Amino acid sequence: MDTVPLHAVLTLILELVMGVGLLVGGLLARLRRFRLHAWCQSVIVLVNLFAIVFSMMPAFRLQVIPMVPQKLGKSYYALATAHAVLGAVAEVAGLYILLAAGTSVLPKTVRITRYKLWMRTVLALWWGALLLGVATYGRWYLPRR
Amino acid sequence: MKRIVSIGAVLVACLVGLVGLGAEPGAITASSEAKRDTVDVKIDNFTFGPQELSVPVGTTVTWTNRDDIPHTVVSTDKVFKSKVLDTDETFSFTFDKAGTYPYFCSIHPKMTGKVVVQ
Repeated sequence: MDTVPLHAVLTLILELVMGVGLLVGGLLARLRRFRLHAWCQSVIVLVNLFAIVFSMMPAFRLQVIPMVPQKLGKSYYALATAHAVLGAVAEVAGLYILLAAGTSVLPKTVRITRYKLWMRTVLALWWGALLLGVATYGRWYLPRR
Repeated sequence: MKRIVSIGAVLVACLVGLVGLGAEPGAITASSEAKRDTVDVKIDNFTFGPQELSVPVGTTVTWTNRDDIPHTVVSTDKVFKSKVLDTDETFSFTFDKAGTYPYFCSIHPKMTGKVVVQ
């Protein structure tokens, strides 16, 4: 752990807490506590946006983007890129659900009709991105010997 | 006459040989001095080795990443900064001024080292 920068540790902890938080939020929906469910998921999607913009994107822009695509064969760049792509898709989809379900800013034609399918798909994407994030963290910051 | 020419030829050959022998140690010294002007630092297992280095002014220090993940070499005082170094990639910097140059890896900021230039 000596080699890990503080912002990376804090981001990992925050992301794990938010991943669990989304599962708790899903449970709230099953318990028909929809208002609480909406608050829980919305806060997590917005906090994650800040974590992406202020912690993950700067590191990705400096350390990974200059090496992509020519060095994607190396596991540390491949993992980080896969995590970034999946994470970006999950975040955009999360923001879309938040706007479609929580506000009326979107035109009717692009509003969601099958909420459960969308939400479950985004939850699965989110956890996929989270697991890739944990793998990226381990590959970049922890000595292997 | 032929004999004189032969003796002369042998003498010239010996002289050339002696000059060659004389030049040899000088060439080795020059080459070893060139070697002395370059110092290597290995990056291995999240550590700069040697972590602290004392070198004379004009020395070029070369960092080589022997780790299986990327690292950087960045001067704390912004004197030098490498690109992201993959495995077996190197970065060199020549120290033209005396002083103490602390540096770190910007990806793993707790990895630090120091070059003391005298």
